[in-house]
Amino acid sequence: MEGFGIWVGALLTLAIFSFLYRENPIYRFAEHLFVGVSAGYYLVQYCFSALYKKLWVPVVDNGQWLLLGGGVLGALMLFRFHRRTEWISRFAIAFYVAAWSGYVIPSILKAQVLTQVRSTILMPWNTPGLTWWDHLSAALILIGTVSILIYFYFSHEHRGPLKAVSQVGITFLMIGFGASFGYTIMGRITLLIGRFQYLFYDWLKLGSS
Amino acid sequence: MKRTAPIVFGFVVGMIMFLQYFIPHAPFTTAYSLVLDWKQVVFGMTLILGIVSLVRHHGTKVQRREKDWAYSVVVLLGFAVMAIAPIVQRTTEGGIYGWMFDHVQAPMQATMFALLAFYVASASYRAFRARSVQAALLLLAGITVMLGRVPIGEMMAIHVAGHEFSLATLSSWILDVPNMAAKRGILIGVGLGVTATALKILLGIERTYLGRSA
Amino acid sequence: MDRFLAFLERLMSIDRRWLYLAVAIAVAVPVLRPIGLPVKVSNETRDFFAQLEALHEGDVILFSFDYEADTNAELDPMSRVIWDYCFSRGIRIVALTLYPGGVGIAENIMNEAAEKYGKEYGVDYVFLGFNADWSGTMLRMGESFRLTYPAEQYGKATTEIPLLDDADKYADVPLLVSIASSSYAEYWAIWAGGKFGQKIVTGNTAVQAVLVYPYYQAGQILGFLGGLKGAAELETLTDLPGDATRGMDSQSTGHGLMVLFILLGNLAYLAQKIRQRRAV
Repeated sequence: MEGFGIWVGALLTLAIFSFLYRENPIYRFAEHLFVGVSAGYYLVQYCFSALYKKLWVPVVDNGQWLLLGGGVLGALMLFRFHRRTEWISRFAIAFYVAAWSGYVIPSILKAQVLTQVRSTILMPWNTPGLTWWDHLSAALILIGTVSILIYFYFSHEHRGPLKAVSQVGITFLMIGFGASFGYTIMGRITLLIGRFQYLFYDWLKLGSS
Repeated sequence: MKRTAPIVFGFVVGMIMFLQYFIPHAPFTTAYSLVLDWKQVVFGMTLILGIVSLVRHHGTKVQRREKDWAYSVVVLLGFAVMAIAPIVQRTTEGGIYGWMFDHVQAPMQATMFALLAFYVASASYRAFRARSVQAALLLLAGITVMLGRVPIGEMMAIHVAGHEFSLATLSSWILDVPNMAAKRGILIGVGLGVTATALKILLGIERTYLGRSA
Repeated sequence: MDRFLAFLERLMSIDRRWLYLAVAIAVAVPVLRPIGLPVKVSNETRDFFAQLEALHEGDVILFSFDYEADTNAELDPMSRVIWDYCFSRGIRIVALTLYPGGVGIAENIMNEAAEKYGKEYGVDYVFLGFNADWSGTMLRMGESFRLTYPAEQYGKATTEIPLLDDADKYADVPLLVSIASSSYAEYWAIWAGGKFGQKIVTGNTAVQAVLVYPYYQAGQILGFLGGLKGAAELETLTDLPGDATRGMDSQSTGHGLMVLFILLGNLAYLAQKIRQRRAV
């Protein structure tokens, strides 16, 4: 069964790759099969997680009746299918989004703003044994971060010194985007390596596995 | 009622979640834990909406014999097998469900994304031009990181006055310093943006997430 | 000279499928005939490994498979080497995933490692499984793993899992490892690290890795692996070579070809400019 499975996987891999030549019925078959199978897989995982693990087990097995509230709110989502009572589903959406908003404010401010600002300012001074090169790099980080923030400041027209600083910000951003580009290439090539390893090692049993 | 009640309800829940950060004691912590548990159930239920829409869309296509309806049959069959298999086998581990994941879903999902390697190559060839100094900087940084992070580039180094200058070191410096500054600038900006949006949601100023007429 | 410039310009109109073929050859040949180029270890990976090395036999770590099959080529080698390393040193693992498609991925890695090292489910490792709502899960786990997951992935009540007697909240686990294809790695740092002080190391796809640097420099993430290269570096440090090390030659040739494409494209662009200027 395992060997047959690898044959199926390899043929489906080739079916998807066939799109590189041109769109064709084999590719479209594989594409639609993928959509259907994935939807089924996700449905099972979501239902098992939300309805069984987080609802059935605590409520029925452990007697935590308060957790039924989650089920009720979740069920309200289904009102979205009925135009006249659709508004009832807003309670579930408001609950989810507002709860997230409530805890995201202090957490994001702390981890993504304050800690980052603190590290930018303190870095050159709070680490012992730094060389002049490290100090220069730390200064560059400070200059880069501040100039980028100024570049993103849209409440004033960028003229004079503001324009000059935001130009520095753009320069840092471009280098950052370049680094992202280089790493993106790395990621994409890796995904292809993975498919070739599968085809050559697992399917055709060529090379070293 | 249809608009205000959900916003008020959201405000109360949101404030509980906000305040517990500063007052980590009952009853805030009790309510906080309960909300987190409920949230997980609500999130899980949202997928059902998406799945119902997908099945409806393809079901209608098959029923009306619309163009390419045969492909919709493939979607529905694939879906049905995966949705029913765990019920029949009474587990989500192994069986047809696990086999279909390992040999149908996973290889195709991986290959779909592997196609990007070809597209990014084509884009590199046709689109990435050094049309300005800043574009040239982007390309140079990209090439340095690309080469400096793989073994072949790591071997590229020159020796000047007893010091080694390697592509790997330059690449690491780009990532650690200018890249880090760029990402940090974006991160702080995004952090402030998320905070502002969350505050607007909490106060009922931002309400587009509730739907068209809210 | 003119003919050369015209040739360069013509290169731009080459059919895209020839480019695809070149990419396929550049990547496929070293997969079949590896050269075995040496791998240099970066500071980020060294710091990641230092955290693993500092663990003691019997410690329990939290491991999150935060990815699906789309990025398994990059992240499976990381997961595999970490599980092998931990099991070989008697470190126990509580695993979970925040992606529904991560379940199948996780099962394959865990079963393989458990079989290889003779580990017992529920005692040496456990799979809490998938939980919808990632941020809620990350926060709730700070209070109790058992309450966040009343049942593990296969429906068994977590109160019956002996491993969780020793590890039921972040405070009980010395390290959290997130192998992630998205910003979940950073969110672990925000929720689990920021609120509960959990020590965190991450493995990231290459695309995501560049975004981790600010967290790493600020000490919110103590070390990370960037893409397949990061995985190969960890394989080198742990002396457990695998698919990542094997893939490094293809990675080199693939990157070389991309650089060649960029240079050729820019040369053609330059040629076009020169010819246009001459025509005026």
